[in-house]
Amino acid sequence: MADVPRPYPLPDRDTAPFWEAQNQHQLKFQRCSACGAVRYPVGPLCPKCRSFEFEWATSSGRGVVHSFTVVQHQTHPAFPVPYTVVLVQMDEGPRIIAQFRGPDGARPEIGMGVHIEWEDHPKQSLPVFVAER
Amino acid sequence: MSATRNKAAIIGVGQTEFSKDSGRSTLHMALEVILQALDDAGLRPEDIDGFVKMRANDDIFEIDLLRSLNLPNLRFFSEIPHGGGAACGTLANAAAAVCSGLADVVVTFRSLNERSERRFGESSAGGGLGHWMQYNIPHGLVTPAQWVAIFAQRYLHEFGYTTEELGRVSVLCRKHAATNPHAMMYERPITLEDHKSSRWISEPLRLLDCTLDTDGACAAVVVSAEKARQLRSRPAFITAAAQGTGSHAEMMTSYQRPDITRLEEAEACARELYRMADLAPADIDVALIYDHFTPMVLMALEAYGFAEQGQAPHLFREDKLELDGQTPLNPHGGHLGEGYLHGFGHIVEAVRQIRGVAANQVPDVKTCLVTSGTGVPTSGAILSSEAY
Repeated sequence: MADVPRPYPLPDRDTAPFWEAQNQHQLKFQRCSACGAVRYPVGPLCPKCRSFEFEWATSSGRGVVHSFTVVQHQTHPAFPVPYTVVLVQMDEGPRIIAQFRGPDGARPEIGMGVHIEWEDHPKQSLPVFVAER
Repeated sequence: MSATRNKAAIIGVGQTEFSKDSGRSTLHMALEVILQALDDAGLRPEDIDGFVKMRANDDIFEIDLLRSLNLPNLRFFSEIPHGGGAACGTLANAAAAVCSGLADVVVTFRSLNERSERRFGESSAGGGLGHWMQYNIPHGLVTPAQWVAIFAQRYLHEFGYTTEELGRVSVLCRKHAATNPHAMMYERPITLEDHKSSRWISEPLRLLDCTLDTDGACAAVVVSAEKARQLRSRPAFITAAAQGTGSHAEMMTSYQRPDITRLEEAEACARELYRMADLAPADIDVALIYDHFTPMVLMALEAYGFAEQGQAPHLFREDKLELDGQTPLNPHGGHLGEGYLHGFGHIVEAVRQIRGVAANQVPDVKTCLVTSGTGVPTSGAILSSEAY
């Protein structure tokens, strides 16, 4: 089963820098050059002030677990169960989905502080979250 | 109130059996239910001049129906996006068409071999992914149950509930399905213990929190209220039908919105429906709430004003949603008990309740609320027995 590749993002002209940065083990968000708002998911226009101008800002990689699920029923050959997916409220504001890596299969808790680590896959490096000590 | 209030009506409905294997094509079933619905209405195929279809997860287009029915000309055809969120949106579109004169007889339908051919609960995602899916699926968040689990875990956490509250939703729908001979779960009620001992799918969702993949089809014929009065069948007047969206909208993964324990699009739809109808939640005699996953039923009941935020579990604990309760919920058993036709079974049930011919008939039904898929851009309708 392990030889079935993970689904991977298909970068387009908006999202390519976001995914390229992840291959460099950096989580980047767009920050509006006009109003300073951080936006996510990636897009061409600032939803707050509707400016097209932005720069890429590197995330601290830290956040708090907002919600999670422990997947127990396997539906995709690339994802053997059980595994845990967390929704993390990043310090910069956006909420990020990624897998959780707990020691000895420990579960996350809502409100728990976490930080990013990186895992390399054939087409795309992706973040995972581990508990803050 | 709105200019279209009670100006259109569902005058005919059709429905196949619901099963794990229909043994025939989705086009075959669609044609069966369309002919049934026309017959129910006292109309002929030649009378059809409009179609509205739901988009996603099927492969039937209006041109397939036109060829099959030998209809050369269609004046009005449209398609409502976002899967189950579209069900009542088809009624809103159809009502707009017949009220404006763009069409006289509009057919809308849903036909799926969701169990025997393509199971939507399974993921077939592979290769490269674009739009919102690229942020979720590469991390293993690949199915609707998993997407919903993220909302559900937060809901239970914020309001201090256990998964028992989810179980109560499933138990009630299965109780109603148990006495509906058309239901896949006819004579198969469950207990809270059954729910608790069913296997985890994606915590906090167990198997018995998830809808039934179903083969089947439903159709409805919409005409103007004026035309409906000239036909032999009893109309279910479309008092209101509306669509709604919310902030940071994605397809079941709107995780950026400020409060993920609320269904913004359902709240928007509710406001619009009650305004159009000039009614309040207390006026609703039967609530047909879209129930693909149990936690979304709790959030939808709150969005449509039957409980304050975080309080819907008390409706179940206090028996308010039983057949003899203040607002009976899904008397047909819903997706969890009757079968999963992406909200179309709920429309057919509403028509039956209004006609007084439902399997689990609620006495003296004047108004039914029907809601469509949650977690996606959605829609809803209020159907009435009289054009007040």
